[in-house]
Amino acid sequence: MRVLAVIPAYNEEACIEGTVTNLVATCPDVDYVVINDGSRDHTEEICQTRGFNYVSLPVNCGLTSGFKTGMKYAKRHGYDAVVQFDADGQHLPQYIPDMARAMQEQGANIVIASRILAGEAPVGARNVGSKLISGLIKGTTGTFITDPTSGMRMYDRSMIEAFATGFDLSPEPDTVAMLIRKGAKVTEVPAHMQDRQGGTSYLDFTSSMRYMLRTCFSILMFQWFR
Amino acid sequence: MTITLRLLCVVGAAITFLGMARQIKKAKIKIEDSIFWVLLSGLLLLIAIVPGIASFAAHLLGFQATSNFVFCALIAILLVKEFHNTMQISMLKHKVTELAQEEALERHERR
Repeated sequence: MRVLAVIPAYNEEACIEGTVTNLVATCPDVDYVVINDGSRDHTEEICQTRGFNYVSLPVNCGLTSGFKTGMKYAKRHGYDAVVQFDADGQHLPQYIPDMARAMQEQGANIVIASRILAGEAPVGARNVGSKLISGLIKGTTGTFITDPTSGMRMYDRSMIEAFATGFDLSPEPDTVAMLIRKGAKVTEVPAHMQDRQGGTSYLDFTSSMRYMLRTCFSILMFQWFR
Repeated sequence: MTITLRLLCVVGAAITFLGMARQIKKAKIKIEDSIFWVLLSGLLLLIAIVPGIASFAAHLLGFQATSNFVFCALIAILLVKEFHNTMQISMLKHKVTELAQEEALERHERR
């Protein structure tokens, strides 16, 4: 199975080198592509001097579009699966083979790396948000996902096709819910994650609220029309 | 409809039309996008010249005052226009990001 790790990166000069180096060292069989989403820092220069495989968007287009670029890349190069991999070092590459195995053995279209199954319990507001999204997905699709906000997800060929050609498919829980409703099979594997290894997160209070609002509206209302 | 409101309608129509003409002259707005505003200024002018149309419609729909009907109708027209604008902006965002993606992938292939 040919697996591609898609690594969207926006202003990730602090982490991108460590993330890619670690990925290549841990999973030499997994190909990767960094999607530099119009970063204004040295992300692109680092990729260039280190000889990383990267695609550079001419302007900042946002995570959805960056990820779509990765899916189009996977489609053009005929990959069997894509794993969504954060540039900030949160995701641990040693779980990629587990995810690929689960995908093959269980015939899943989407495999999510779950912190909950690994025994990690998110705390505070994040936990509340995550539980709420879990509940909404369970209520609307009947499928229980322990860690819907996990950003480490693997998609098979049919999902690559859907993301590469679809309209406004964000690599987020609401899209997962919609895909389940359209017949996609989702499974989870236990995985630990780390804290971000440098730089700053874009998830401040207002953007977290916007994220929750968008996700809840999308799961509760709009997925019925898509 | 008071004479003041009628005059305001004429002024509004004139400003809308002249504003549009100016932007077209400066090549800032496409003709096809100006049609809505030209029609709107025409409508305002029509209401000012023949207020009977507005008062007839107001009476028919049960508005207490013709001016209320005129305001309400204008708000409704502008809301529809705004909805249409949001849709067009969404489509433009989509097209711009699609172009950026294709361009980025092509550049990668050429490298």
